[in-house]
Amino acid sequence: MRAQHSAGARWKKLLKLEFSAIAFLSPFLIPLIVFYIWPLLRGVWISFHTWGILGMQKYVGLDNYTKLLTNGDFFKYLWNSLYFVLLVVPIIILLGLILALLIQRKIPFQTTFRSIYFLPYVLSVSVISFIWLRMFDSKHGLVNVILESLGIPPINWLTDPGAAWWSIVIATVWWTVGFVMVLFLAGLQEISPELYEAADIDGASTFHKFRYITLPGLSSVMKVQIFFQIIAGLKLFGQVQIMTNGGPGDVTNTIVRYIYVTGFKKDMFGLAAAQSTLFCLFMLLIAAIQFMLLNRKES
Amino acid sequence: MAKVAIYSLTVLLAVIFVIPLVWMFVVSFKPEGVSAITINEWVDFSDLTLQNYKKVLTESQILRWTYNSLIIGAITTIITVLISSLAAFAFSRKTFKTKGFWFILCASGLLIPTEAMLIPLYETVLSMNLLDSNWGIILPSLTNPLGLILIMQFMNGLPKDYMEAAQLDGCKDLRLWWSIYMPLTRSAMISIGIFYFIMSWNNFIWPYIVINTEENMVLATGLPTFLANNVLHVNTIMTASAIAAIPTMIVYILLQKHIVQGVSMTGVKG
Repeated sequence: MRAQHSAGARWKKLLKLEFSAIAFLSPFLIPLIVFYIWPLLRGVWISFHTWGILGMQKYVGLDNYTKLLTNGDFFKYLWNSLYFVLLVVPIIILLGLILALLIQRKIPFQTTFRSIYFLPYVLSVSVISFIWLRMFDSKHGLVNVILESLGIPPINWLTDPGAAWWSIVIATVWWTVGFVMVLFLAGLQEISPELYEAADIDGASTFHKFRYITLPGLSSVMKVQIFFQIIAGLKLFGQVQIMTNGGPGDVTNTIVRYIYVTGFKKDMFGLAAAQSTLFCLFMLLIAAIQFMLLNRKES
Repeated sequence: MAKVAIYSLTVLLAVIFVIPLVWMFVVSFKPEGVSAITINEWVDFSDLTLQNYKKVLTESQILRWTYNSLIIGAITTIITVLISSLAAFAFSRKTFKTKGFWFILCASGLLIPTEAMLIPLYETVLSMNLLDSNWGIILPSLTNPLGLILIMQFMNGLPKDYMEAAQLDGCKDLRLWWSIYMPLTRSAMISIGIFYFIMSWNNFIWPYIVINTEENMVLATGLPTFLANNVLHVNTIMTASAIAAIPTMIVYILLQKHIVQGVSMTGVKG
């Protein structure tokens, strides 16, 4: 009798602990469920329907998926986003590393340089897009004027299919490379100075110190950053929406802008939801690869 | 010699980085039609004018957008930091059976960006009648788990003595969190809060979709309307950009240390 009573009491106490903890979590959990988990599931549901913004709906099974898998547009624009990633990520990582190495040592105006390189990052995407829209203007833009003074013929940055992506890449690198630099600076500070002292005693060259001390010391920051930048690149929307409107033609149309146009400009919510769902799966795949690569090295 | 070359490169890169910004300010003070693309135009101070500023401030709703951005940023930051800290406290200091499940659920918020769920999120916000409102922007942005994870790691590093001592005194959990753990994690919360504010201030795609009347726009989504309105011209575009950039640049200069610290915190753990 007594044992039973205490078992019941322990049970009660456990439940109470459980609920008091969940009470602390709930202010975070409720918005998470309503504005993240629920829409994700809802998106799959919508993708099985034809659906307008006003809510006209009809169940069509997998029609939306067959439509977008047979029509090549989805893969074309997904490839455009991947192409941007291939252009921008190596540049941003390399330049971020170079900037961090340039100002890591005590030099005159060290913090001023850091502030300048990082400054564009705090501006919003519309501001940086406006600045570069004007910079790249073929007649009144500063870029062509500077090129001309160096003897290079002017380029139609925003309307030439070959140059349009580079305009977006240059604007993006200028905007976000300071972020990568700050993280590399933090990574450099974690490397023990004793390693460099020991290397100096052994008479190691600057290149050897970089290759065998600095680079390995930065490898974890670098891996996290590469994936962070890949994901940021796949999300590209604002710069192309403002600077090129996806053009010339559809050269700089990205997967996110494609979903946006399908859903909100053409009012095909069902089809856009199917595109969204496939894009989510693609992002999950990237996250899975990241998880596997980042954890393998540590174990 | 090598040192001089490296230093020159550092200076050259810095000049390349600031030129677009300086040019933006120069053009914003030039009369309509002057693009300031020659050295002579740069150093000619005789034609500087405030006309563009007057035009942008009176003919557009830019001040209204700035106000909206401020309000939305402040509310988002305060709520996110509070609910993240509360949840971090439970994960860090309470023992309960389903902890692992809830933690994975919270952390899963890192997996899918808003950009990949525009359509269903719009549907959700529409069904709650929140389109074209401040809350339609604020509520979906509260679910970023990055702050929760960082505050939790910070709390894990604190000694448990406080907890035990306070519990012996009969201190309730909520008071324990508010009067002991909140003050102890203040520096982390300031860095994270500033980071959230910048994110909210620069958030583009979601406000761009959810807001459709000019009056309710935020600064980031209001600016592109200048491209559609042909009334305003080349120089005024740069003036509008400058007006949008000035508050961020002032805040950046004042809080630089915190901002850089916040970025390194959030980015290294990524």
